[in-house]
Amino acid sequence: MAEVFKWAQEARIFYEKKSMAKYISHLDIMQTFSRAIKRARIPVWYTEGFNPRAFLSFSAPLPLGVESFCETCDIRLTEECDFDILCKILDEALPEDIHIKYIDKPVYKASDIAFSKYEIIFNEIEDNDFLYIINKFKDDEIYITKKVKKGRERLVKLVNIKDNIKSCSPDDENPYTLNIILTSGMQNNVNPISLLKSLTSDMTYDMDKADIIKKETFLENMQIFQ
Amino acid sequence: MVKREVEPLLKKVQKPARYTGGELNSVIKYKENVNLRYAFCFPDNYEIGMSHLGMKILYSLVNEREDCWCERVFAPWPDMEKLMRAENIPLFALESGDCIKDFDIIGFTLQYELSYTNVLNMLDLAGISPLKKDRKDLSPLIVAGGPCVCNAEPMADFIDLFMPGEGEEVTNDLIDLYLKHKIMGSDRLDFLRDAAKIEGIYVPEFYDVEYKNDGTIKEYINKETAPKSVKKRIIKDLNSSYYPDKFVVPYIDVVQDRTVGEVFRGCIRGCRFCQAGFIYRPIREKNTDVIDEQCHKISDATGYDELSLCSLSTSDYTQLEELINNLFEWTLPEKINVALPSLRVDNFSDSLLEKLKQIRRSGLTFAPEAGTQRLRDAINKNVTMDNILNTANKAWSGGWTNLKLYFMMGLPTETMDDIKGIADTAQTVVDLFYKNPDRNKGKSVSVSVSCSSFVPKPFTPFQWEPQDTAESLIEKQKYLLSSTKSKKISISYHQSDASLLEGVLARGDRRLSEVIYKAWQKGAKFDSWDEFFNFDYWKESFDECGLDPAFYANRKREYDEIFPWDVLDYGIRKDFLIDENKKAHKSELTANCRQKCSACGASRLNGGKCDGRSV
Repeated sequence: MAEVFKWAQEARIFYEKKSMAKYISHLDIMQTFSRAIKRARIPVWYTEGFNPRAFLSFSAPLPLGVESFCETCDIRLTEECDFDILCKILDEALPEDIHIKYIDKPVYKASDIAFSKYEIIFNEIEDNDFLYIINKFKDDEIYITKKVKKGRERLVKLVNIKDNIKSCSPDDENPYTLNIILTSGMQNNVNPISLLKSLTSDMTYDMDKADIIKKETFLENMQIFQ
Repeated sequence: MVKREVEPLLKKVQKPARYTGGELNSVIKYKENVNLRYAFCFPDNYEIGMSHLGMKILYSLVNEREDCWCERVFAPWPDMEKLMRAENIPLFALESGDCIKDFDIIGFTLQYELSYTNVLNMLDLAGISPLKKDRKDLSPLIVAGGPCVCNAEPMADFIDLFMPGEGEEVTNDLIDLYLKHKIMGSDRLDFLRDAAKIEGIYVPEFYDVEYKNDGTIKEYINKETAPKSVKKRIIKDLNSSYYPDKFVVPYIDVVQDRTVGEVFRGCIRGCRFCQAGFIYRPIREKNTDVIDEQCHKISDATGYDELSLCSLSTSDYTQLEELINNLFEWTLPEKINVALPSLRVDNFSDSLLEKLKQIRRSGLTFAPEAGTQRLRDAINKNVTMDNILNTANKAWSGGWTNLKLYFMMGLPTETMDDIKGIADTAQTVVDLFYKNPDRNKGKSVSVSVSCSSFVPKPFTPFQWEPQDTAESLIEKQKYLLSSTKSKKISISYHQSDASLLEGVLARGDRRLSEVIYKAWQKGAKFDSWDEFFNFDYWKESFDECGLDPAFYANRKREYDEIFPWDVLDYGIRKDFLIDENKKAHKSELTANCRQKCSACGASRLNGGKCDGRSV
């Protein structure tokens, strides 16, 4: 059988999800991208079958309400394209709060992502509350609630995730700001919102006032994901 | 744009993207550069409102003007509303994030009666009194359009003026007049006196209503500058009329999220229960090349991969095959699906069905509306049992395995035999599947019967008819369930209390304003949503106002009764409707407009022109 032409090139889109775009869910982001790609008339490869759609592959879902500087979406192009031009036309076709940083060849697999770095800005917080939270990170055990499926049942269980926190340190330049690195990926993903809500559960501080920004993703050996 | 104080709320509510704005193609202007700010309000949630074609048209139309900025406003979902009230955050428009209290014009579209309390709630949430008697200034001016405006009397205490008919032209007339009065420094009443002179603007406070002892209307007396009756506005030529070249593309899944091409207005069918079939007359078609170009532009500007044609009965469009051929030329290579809702399968040609097979297969729907031929004839649904069987057979042979059948319950002249007929019809359709040698043998068949409760509406031949009582409807629903034997048939129906309220408001008079106000004060909102509808609020309010819902819903009216909506002229002659009513009681059919013009009167609105007549 003759070789069937599939696609000419793979490309990884590195984009930012800023400001109000943090309220767009993962599923809706996929829709937003596929429409933008159509508007920009980018020659993407469509899946086969009765209901063809543009092939898009995203890195792990970002929790609703978290901004990000380091999201990726992989596409397949049916012809060789100039990545800089592609970047420009796709950026123009997207809503303002989704910004394409650059497009490049994928180096690693999305499943190789092991850690994510988050910046947490505690707006409107008292000094002692901020110190209290920093100290909380030093506890031997840190529990969060996780929703798990057991057969058909859906349960909520407490999980100690102390080992999933790689580091936590106050930012050198910005006040009331923490930088934390958490495990990421299919297996050990820690949702930073759940973690912080759990840490602040006995405080009056309203965690919804804080801004959470995903800054970087890393491989197991702490190399930056490319 | 979201204001700083709103942001923390967004993390606490479901679907925060309902409130953020910033969607692709939403229009941002500098408020310093415009003379008029228009809040287009849809009194339901974001997902419903963003699906509405009329809003898309008028939003873009107003924003075409450099002197105006039109923004979108939806009813916040109760979780958001609760937080907004707790934090004293007033209702804001999505584009600017500004509170709509300071806008010039606040326009509501009234698409269904059960959204009325949301209008009051939205005004209140914006810090505006819902009662017009409390408002003396020119701004904000509260206006309303949409199909319910054909009898908007129950909303008369809240809305400054109504715009019966189509909005494309009258909206610009209204804005021009408003700008003139804004410069002159007029107050509300000065403006309304001038506005009442514009064709298609109805100012309810310029009419005194006198009632007879039995509660029916004695007389409407026009005052000030108001005409004796207000004629609805229509667009004479759809080809040259404004149509947007882009839609706002929502981030979240909304009900209708696709390119929409409007193919014609009006309907040739004359089904006697259907208000839309009468109030949108006369029939005006759009040319295929115009529709094709409009659809292509919107698809380019949105990136939608689906396109839908919109009208009351798309298969009655005279150039349908040509249109589909034109559309396919670009939709197939661009991988865009074409969907055709409102198809009457009875007049499908085989070649059309072949073409539709290229389209992604969605469910097929078919609306016999009534279970027996006698009742179908009474409601002038020109569908025979043969049509139904043919359609089902075509669908089964075509590979479909599920079919949705729409029926109504509580139709005038209906008996229990007609209800049994619904179950029998569904059963026959299921049986046909197994008899059909070409059926899709891999799958099981399913027929879903959706049974709504009939509500008599103004400007239809059934406007005189008593609505079936809630007790009777419940009995019929039970009977239908017990008459249905097969597991392949699923039955769904509506809440009968909600249908009763819909019927009261649809044919109500302006005394009901007080009932609506009280019900809202008690907590009524989102009445069209089962999870929020509470009939107790309404029952108490009727009692407190000394009004009886049965008077409005379940009473048989005489032909010479004066109706609250007689003050409006929708083109349709009352004599024609009376004739149609009499024919219904004799189960006599009326030919559709293409077979024979029935002289309904609507073409008067268009200089005698109507595309319904055979060409």
